[in-house]
Amino acid sequence: MKNKILVASLISISAYTLPAIAEWDIRGNVTAQLQEFANSAPQSESHTSNVSLSGEIELYRDLTDDTSVIITPFARIDQRDSERSHFDFRELLVHHITDSFEWKVGLGKVFWGVAESRNPVDVINQSDAVENGVSADKLGQPMINLFAARDWGDIDLYILPGFREQTFPGEDGRPRLPVVIDSDSPRYESNDEEQHIDFALRLFKTVGDWDIGLHAFNGTARDPEFVFNTNTGKLEPFYYQKTQIGIDAQATLESWLLKAELINITADEVEDHIELVTGFEYSFYGIAETDIDLGVVTEWLYDDRDETTNPFQNDLLIGLRLALNDEQSTDALLGVISDLDGDGEILSLEASRRIGSSLKASIDARYWINQPTDSPFDNEDYVQFELGYFF
Amino acid sequence: MKTLETKKTIALALLLSSSAVFSTAALSDAARGLEIATQVNEQDNGFIDSTSTMNMTLINRSGKKSERKMRALTLEVNGDGDKSMSIFDEPADVKGTASLTYSHSVKPDEQWLYLPALKRVKRISSKNKSGPFMGSEFAFEDISSQEVDKYTYEYLGDDELDGIKVFKIESKPAYKHSGYTRLISWIDQERLVPVKIEYFDRKNAALKTLVFSEYEQYKDKFWRAGNMEMTNLQTKKSTILRFSDYAFQTGLTDKDFTSSALKRFR
Repeated sequence: MKNKILVASLISISAYTLPAIAEWDIRGNVTAQLQEFANSAPQSESHTSNVSLSGEIELYRDLTDDTSVIITPFARIDQRDSERSHFDFRELLVHHITDSFEWKVGLGKVFWGVAESRNPVDVINQSDAVENGVSADKLGQPMINLFAARDWGDIDLYILPGFREQTFPGEDGRPRLPVVIDSDSPRYESNDEEQHIDFALRLFKTVGDWDIGLHAFNGTARDPEFVFNTNTGKLEPFYYQKTQIGIDAQATLESWLLKAELINITADEVEDHIELVTGFEYSFYGIAETDIDLGVVTEWLYDDRDETTNPFQNDLLIGLRLALNDEQSTDALLGVISDLDGDGEILSLEASRRIGSSLKASIDARYWINQPTDSPFDNEDYVQFELGYFF
Repeated sequence: MKTLETKKTIALALLLSSSAVFSTAALSDAARGLEIATQVNEQDNGFIDSTSTMNMTLINRSGKKSERKMRALTLEVNGDGDKSMSIFDEPADVKGTASLTYSHSVKPDEQWLYLPALKRVKRISSKNKSGPFMGSEFAFEDISSQEVDKYTYEYLGDDELDGIKVFKIESKPAYKHSGYTRLISWIDQERLVPVKIEYFDRKNAALKTLVFSEYEQYKDKFWRAGNMEMTNLQTKKSTILRFSDYAFQTGLTDKDFTSSALKRFR
């Protein structure tokens, strides 16, 4: 009898756990990358070609009707740059939904903003700058997030215990500045350093044609300032404390998308200032009786500081977005960001196309033109090819 | 043989003209068209919400196939267009991408797109009604919520299609930015569902034919086609759209059709 119960419970346990393994919803990609640089950089016996391989897997499952878990490990192995060979959990989250709230606890990824060129309001996650990708890659941020949807809008509250340092290319990495950024020696304004607890709040509401977000953030700035260390000859990132409030808004008016992101930063270690990105996107649908859409993107990027390390202090993006709307989802975005104070232009091209059902090829090229003499990026023009397998 | 065909044609012509005479006597063709369209629409009232799986096969000129897979959720909105959400499962590079549409009869639809790799919800323009859905032969306007006010109608007559008695209706889009001058629909007289639709492009040339089949009735009321085949007469490309796992009154609410809920759906 006891044996029967044991056998029965074993069967019921395995009956419970075996399908449970199958309950994981798995998706992801493995992507090979080749970077070709037009010139060798003067700073070292630098290469003009680099290969790397990256992989991201998203594992999701429901624990109960109301609770789910998502685990998204990411890794890259780079031929030359040890800083670029890295591992991160993009997400490692438990998500709980009640009738009136949603909770998320763990490492998460959040996007705020409406603009195409740059998102000053997008303040929660640290950028994985070493990725240098077409999509703005982010590091998983430790968070406790409370979300509620109400008649008057959506509200998100964030407690952010723990700071992630920005990643930077190492000595063998490209493209990079002539001076190496020493990501092993970060400096902090707060004595709590990377243990500082940050807070953020966001309200979001759709009012007719308008989607409007308001936010406030208090804590460690994700974008560091830099301090030159004369002993090592390297730049050291300095993470200051800031209070930021801001608004992002988009009006969707048929062919027109009008966009703006505005933030106000108050800090002790940097000048109080505002940053603005505003512009429009106008689309021509089905041009010349084909399925092709062509969009014109124009954005002005502004920072009101007199002296700033922000390269987009007074710049204009003019871009063309092409979507063939074909079976392979062929897309391209060609853009020029011009420095209106005369510090040159950056020309960029991003294009992608599906091959078969599981492969996707993409190209990302960047050229620095009319750069002032001694510009750090004069020799960093590159083309990056990617072939990804998706599952 | 030829005589027989001629006789048939004459008989059909007589039948059509007699019914046309009958209907003009009763109602104008426009009023009759509107009446049928209203009946088609009304018999679907009360489904509350529905979910289904869609498998799309794109077939190009040389017969090469490619697959798309998505799930659709629809919430009935009384007095306006429905709310709907589509979640893409295949091809793998767009897995997890989801779209949300608040459709309206004549004013522009509201639409959001969720890009899972960026965790970004984008409000997008709904002006592109004539653009292809997922590279297929279905345009966005073909798969959007069909509302009576979206068209003006004209009853063209009774007909028979594959042994089914049908009403033949011409409809002209009343909303802006359509890719069509007109549609001709063959409506099953008994079940009040479309059996076939012919689309005419902006130059009024025949563009596409949509054939509905494998109709099934759910909840003893709501008819849904299990198979829709769209053939482009100009490019010779076609798309087969198959529906499965239909469920009705699943308990979806307005809260499931918001831009924040877009991020949550798997």
